[in-house]
Amino acid sequence: MKRTLEVMGMVCPFPLVEAKEAIKDLNSGDELEVQFDCTQGTESIPRWAAEEGHEVTEYEQVGEAAWTITIKKK
Amino acid sequence: MVQMVITGLICGALLGFVMQRGRFCLTGGFRDMYLTKDNRMFYALLIAIAIQSVGVYTLISLKVFKFNAGSLPIVAVIVGSFIFGIGIIFAGGCATGTWYRAGEGLIGSWIALAGYMLVAAMMKSGVLLPLDKAIQETSIESNSIAETIGVNNWLIITIFVVVVAFIIYRELKKPRLKIPGLKPKKTGLAHILFEKRWHPFITATIVGVIAILAWPLSVATGRIHGLGVTTPSANILQFLVTGQISYINWGVFLVLGIFLGSLFAAKMSGEFRFRIPDTKTAINSFCGGLMMGFGAGLAGGCSIGNGLVMTAMMTWQGWISLGFMILGTWTASYFVFVRPSKKAKQSTQVITA
Repeated sequence: MKRTLEVMGMVCPFPLVEAKEAIKDLNSGDELEVQFDCTQGTESIPRWAAEEGHEVTEYEQVGEAAWTITIKKK
Repeated sequence: MVQMVITGLICGALLGFVMQRGRFCLTGGFRDMYLTKDNRMFYALLIAIAIQSVGVYTLISLKVFKFNAGSLPIVAVIVGSFIFGIGIIFAGGCATGTWYRAGEGLIGSWIALAGYMLVAAMMKSGVLLPLDKAIQETSIESNSIAETIGVNNWLIITIFVVVVAFIIYRELKKPRLKIPGLKPKKTGLAHILFEKRWHPFITATIVGVIAILAWPLSVATGRIHGLGVTTPSANILQFLVTGQISYINWGVFLVLGIFLGSLFAAKMSGEFRFRIPDTKTAINSFCGGLMMGFGAGLAGGCSIGNGLVMTAMMTWQGWISLGFMILGTWTASYFVFVRPSKKAKQSTQVITA
């Protein structure tokens, strides 16, 4: 299962706060796609995923100041 | 005047560029010390302080310029810094952070900046000046840590550098976590400048060097100070509404440079876009900006003026301010991030029960 979380327009640290909340409802192996445009998130979101042991299956810049990252729950 | 414009803009642009690319966010750093027990950004700040301290005191020892720490308006520094700390959480960035995020196209930061400049100017020459003066009156004669203890400045700096070196050694010895990054699309210098993730300690080192550079450049134009953001930000507004050229100084071009440097960095890395905040964020940004202007005006500096520069000068003002600023960010973080999530948890428990 894959869930999409759209947090465009939210500023640091809210994209990360929202992602942490969203992943709680997922089962192990499910994916969470986060679409965000907060520059600081390019650092904080993958770092959080790595620290928690979740796998980043996709991470891309999709446009000017717009990113998408897909995290597979541990 | 020409020299002031050129060196101020260049120094500011370098700082804005490095902060944008290095994601040098002190607000986030202070906040995460409490929220995620992550001290990396704070350690990075200590590195920048240490480098600047050694550099600037070397220049002072070489008699390039004189520095007088002045007196310590203790109440103003404590109260102002605490309010500033609360303000930067609401504004989503400290004063410098707000300038560079404005360069990334965040309209919320433009709003915060407007509130910040307004209240800072009100404190410097407006209706809040009497209040500012009254609180500044409670003052302790010596602001220099070395002077109070009765030792040489270099002894304090040496001890500080040893402590910072130990912290870096301990941090770098930790096993490194592999953090997934974006696939590189650029190569060579363009990759390093406009794409690569910079280690916070590297960013901090460059910030420290820029902070040293700021001193002789600013002194050459008659302004005996290093990096500073609050007074210059107020000066811009004061100049615009009074038309008095005396408000223009090196610092004014420094802060304009921060904006331009960050704009350039963001444009070149595909990270610039006008982003409109929602109503709640916009209001928070404005209120945060007002608190920032009041706090930094009262404390005589922001996270750069006090937190980076006055700390490096080994003054009580710098270190007391840094401490209370951090306490302010923690207090605001509790109300903005910790308590809402606790409440949310409680309400879901009620539903499941």
